Amino acid sequence: MSTRTSLWTWSRLSSRLALCLLLGAVMALSTSVAQEAHPLEGESIDMTILGIGGWVPSSLGAEMANDLFKPFALEEYGYDVTFTFDAAPFAALFQRAAASLATRSNEYNIIISDSQWLGALSEPGWIVNVDEIIEEHPELDIEWYSEIVGVGYQEYPMYSGIRWGFPQAGDVVVMFVRRDMLHDEAERAAFLEEHGRELPYDYEDFLEMSYGEFEDIAAFFTRPDEGLYGHAFQYSREYDFLSMWMYPFMFSLGGDIGDFEDENRVYGILNSEVNARAMEINRAWQQYMPPGAINFGIAEIIDLFTAGQVFSAQQWAAVGPAMIPEDLPEEFDVMVVPPPGLIQDDGSFNRLYNVGGQPWVINAFNTPEQMRVAIDFMRWWYLPETQMEYARRGGSPSDAATLNHPDYEDMKPWNRAFKFMLQDDNARDFYREPTYAQLLSTQQEAWHAFASGEIDDAMNTLEWIACEQQKILFDSGASEIRPPAECRQVRLR
Amino acid sequence: MRVRRFIERPRVFALLLIAPALIFFFVWNIIPVLTLIGVSFYNYSMVTGMPPRYIGLGNYEDIVYSFRLWESFGRTLSWVVVTVGIETVLGIAIGILFWGSVRLPGRRLALTLLFTPMLMTPLAAGIFFRLMYEPSIGIINYVTRWAGLGTFSFLSDRSLAFAAVVFVDVWMWTPFMVLITLAALGSVPKAELEAAEVDRLPWWRRLVTVVLPHAKFILMIGILLRTIESFKTMDLVFNMTGGGPGTTTELVALTLWRRAFEAFNLGWSSALAFILLLMAIAFTSIFLFVLNLRRRQQEREASA
Repeated sequence: MSTRTSLWTWSRLSSRLALCLLLGAVMALSTSVAQEAHPLEGESIDMTILGIGGWVPSSLGAEMANDLFKPFALEEYGYDVTFTFDAAPFAALFQRAAASLATRSNEYNIIISDSQWLGALSEPGWIVNVDEIIEEHPELDIEWYSEIVGVGYQEYPMYSGIRWGFPQAGDVVVMFVRRDMLHDEAERAAFLEEHGRELPYDYEDFLEMSYGEFEDIAAFFTRPDEGLYGHAFQYSREYDFLSMWMYPFMFSLGGDIGDFEDENRVYGILNSEVNARAMEINRAWQQYMPPGAINFGIAEIIDLFTAGQVFSAQQWAAVGPAMIPEDLPEEFDVMVVPPPGLIQDDGSFNRLYNVGGQPWVINAFNTPEQMRVAIDFMRWWYLPETQMEYARRGGSPSDAATLNHPDYEDMKPWNRAFKFMLQDDNARDFYREPTYAQLLSTQQEAWHAFASGEIDDAMNTLEWIACEQQKILFDSGASEIRPPAECRQVRLR
Repeated sequence: MRVRRFIERPRVFALLLIAPALIFFFVWNIIPVLTLIGVSFYNYSMVTGMPPRYIGLGNYEDIVYSFRLWESFGRTLSWVVVTVGIETVLGIAIGILFWGSVRLPGRRLALTLLFTPMLMTPLAAGIFFRLMYEPSIGIINYVTRWAGLGTFSFLSDRSLAFAAVVFVDVWMWTPFMVLITLAALGSVPKAELEAAEVDRLPWWRRLVTVVLPHAKFILMIGILLRTIESFKTMDLVFNMTGGGPGTTTELVALTLWRRAFEAFNLGWSSALAFILLLMAIAFTSIFLFVLNLRRRQQEREASA
């Protein structure tokens, strides 16, 4: 009894002590906060984020701003901020942002931009150079998961070290496959009999898989009579959809698209034999896809995969929540793996895909109050707990701390492949010149004409793109290299 | 008093009456067209924030050498001829049928239903038909599969895409030509028709000698309006195929849109827009000239 009494007394004493310590800490904290009162304390501020319509990572960012940052700011800084989310589709977003920024408007305080727009937005001084912000707030000098994250989402020119944004959503191409079909005994036996080797079984089996090997699997599951096809990826002419799947074939095969870091040269680099070969391989994959592949974009791939019309599909990891929705039929067991690579001329295996994703950029015409909130918001966004919450909600952070967290890979089915594909060996980004829209539109037109079969000569298609893009760069003053005289004779046909 | 007298002068009063229209025309037509012409001499991107650079006739030279653009012009010409041609023939045929069936039960309801497609926005019609044409879930392919004909990729197959979009345009705009035909037929004097009936003229002679001379003017106005509209078609094609597959359905208005709002090249697209404006003016003038040829000839004969 006496032992119990003394234990009870001891526990009461220790809980009182703990309470005193907590109160002391709170008082000390409030004194320090009172000493450094936030300049916006007591104010109400409205902020607008412009993002991509129908794009989960964009809407998640805005959703978290109101759900989590608003109470955080009220508690920590004493001001009341309300965020409004304005959105437009990929193809229209830049026009919306640029039209507003060109009038020096602060209509959109924070913009979820595409990394390719960094040049066009920064050259006229429309967005803030975040180097100064990072210098003032060193906690924003985040350690990213890989070099391409910083280079891709922050820098213009690429590899210059000059930063214009913060990664909002990292993104890479991953492959969604129907594990239930791969594990089906009858399918395994049939494939073994047909090809003399086993169907892949788990994630590891896809790590070194080339398009050559994967083609057998895609062909095996292509059964038009049953309404089933082996594979799907994007060929749509909309925005950069087709380019995002043409580049990986070129990069993986050892080709390049131009020198945009030094002299802005396209002609002589893009129009190479290896790139022409990559285009042929890319186009040939339509035979394993459902009819109408030439118009497949992000939404079509989601529809096809969730409707069970394809065995596998390549898609942006950020679209994971839509590719594996909660109402997916029970028999669908989906595994997310790295997409295939290509065997280069020297026999080596190479897998090099584009990064997707978007950075946050801050409007340079914000009022000092809006600027302060934008910075507070960034500091909050990159807190480890915020990034973990973002990942938990299906977002795609790209900082090293979150991606290396022991729980990260198991949070969502696509996280493991996302992390793998975000490594520097597997991902790269492409040009971000102010004339980006013109350069992109040119290649989308030509590659779509080739992919649709309207044009058959891959090399001639590349010649035409290279001539046009070199002319765009030369005319805009971005390059001193004129397109060669023979470009006058090059016609896309 | 003086002011009032000044205002009441016939010329001044007439000028005052048309002034609002003139101001509207000047602000909304003349100034934008002059701006457009001015911008067409510059290398100017809407979104780079860089100042426009004067390049003289550079954009026009580029257009002349743009083989892809001329292909697009050719395609647009085919589009105009095919769509307006089919719509005119079908519209006149259906219009005559309705004209001759005044006592048909349900005529009014049938006419209302017939005009419905014309009231839809091209955007809505585009989405509607894109879904109907869809290879996997579209109703048209459901029917073709049910009939044992297999699946057709109407909008992705180069041999089908152009015809598939033409079909939608014809579906949308034939009712307009029916409406025009009914208006034109309504302008034919009853007395002449009755005289033709008394003379027991066969139907085709009645059509050629009585109906067409009277209905011609309104029909021509309908054809002219459809031709100009057809030449400007963008939203329907944009929504259904985006100009694809490849450039199979890329009409010149879509090329213009792409250069202006996808590539943001305002200088080049202004030059193209100005050329298209000149073409539309030239086309309309030729059309009106031909339309008035016979009238002028009759006037000359009468004065001689």
